[in-house]
Amino acid sequence: MRISKLSLAVLALVISASAAQAQTNNASITATATVQTPINVIGAQALNFGNVFPGVNKPVAATDLTNAGRFDVAGQASTPVTLSFTLPATLSSGANTMPIDTYTGMRADDAGQTVGTVLFSPGASNAATLSATGTMFVWVGARVVPATNQAQGVYTASVTMTVVY
Amino acid sequence: MKTLSWSVIGMALLGAALPPVVGAQGKPLNVTGVRGLTFGAVFPGVPRVISRTDPANAGQVDIGYAKFSPILLTFTLPSAMAGPAGATMPLVFGASDAGYSSPETITSQVGFDPRVPFATALDKNGRAAVFIGGRAQPAPSQRAGAYTATITLTVTVLP
Repeated sequence: MRISKLSLAVLALVISASAAQAQTNNASITATATVQTPINVIGAQALNFGNVFPGVNKPVAATDLTNAGRFDVAGQASTPVTLSFTLPATLSSGANTMPIDTYTGMRADDAGQTVGTVLFSPGASNAATLSATGTMFVWVGARVVPATNQAQGVYTASVTMTVVY
Repeated sequence: MKTLSWSVIGMALLGAALPPVVGAQGKPLNVTGVRGLTFGAVFPGVPRVISRTDPANAGQVDIGYAKFSPILLTFTLPSAMAGPAGATMPLVFGASDAGYSSPETITSQVGFDPRVPFATALDKNGRAAVFIGGRAQPAPSQRAGAYTATITLTVTVLP
């Protein structure tokens, strides 16, 4: 039985096709990430010393719900954060200044200071953890030290709190 | 003779249908995705780096072929991950973010740049693992949610 030319040609084609096939293969994997909720911080309440008399120091405790300064924080639930404060050394009224010192801090999971309360000294770096609902309330107290000849006026300064994950 | 002709034609058609990546020794070139590159929880504004030596989170692709075969590894790398509402997050790969391991262990790798094709050779076992890390760079205002991207490793057997 003779093998036809057609058969030989096809057989050759099979062999040559196999040799010409590129030896390449690939596989894919997936990169994944879950971005957490951004941190939101608002200044909710001013640190209010009210009426101050020359020569009479006046403190406001961080536990003073009415007069302590308050920051409200919202972010990813149960996530550690770092608080950092910029605390002024004086209040100003025009050219006049009045010292402020003895800063104190209080943080809690609720605005009533009833859950997860922690007293702390506000500074450059304070570790904390957001609540299970992603919130945290921070109060700041301090003391003003008016001189005996402190000029009359409205004295102000800025207290800044930064929160990072 | 006619029967033989049709048999040969049939063999040709069968040959065309066979998987194309069969080596000289009859072994297929296997490239298998084993594990994804996992950044996990990422915080806005805080870059997250995964090392290629991270046993839990580094990506891994396994290779199997004829022993001692020279091969070329080429990654197709995304520049960003896709997230919710069309948001994207940059994904960056550095010069040492990929690793080639003949013993297929994450603790024994030769580092290489995944952005550039890497030529190497399989060892006597004809197997290897490739690991990859990277850096996710969320913006401070990065939208929260799940982000993904696809990384592809192409293996070419060199002549």
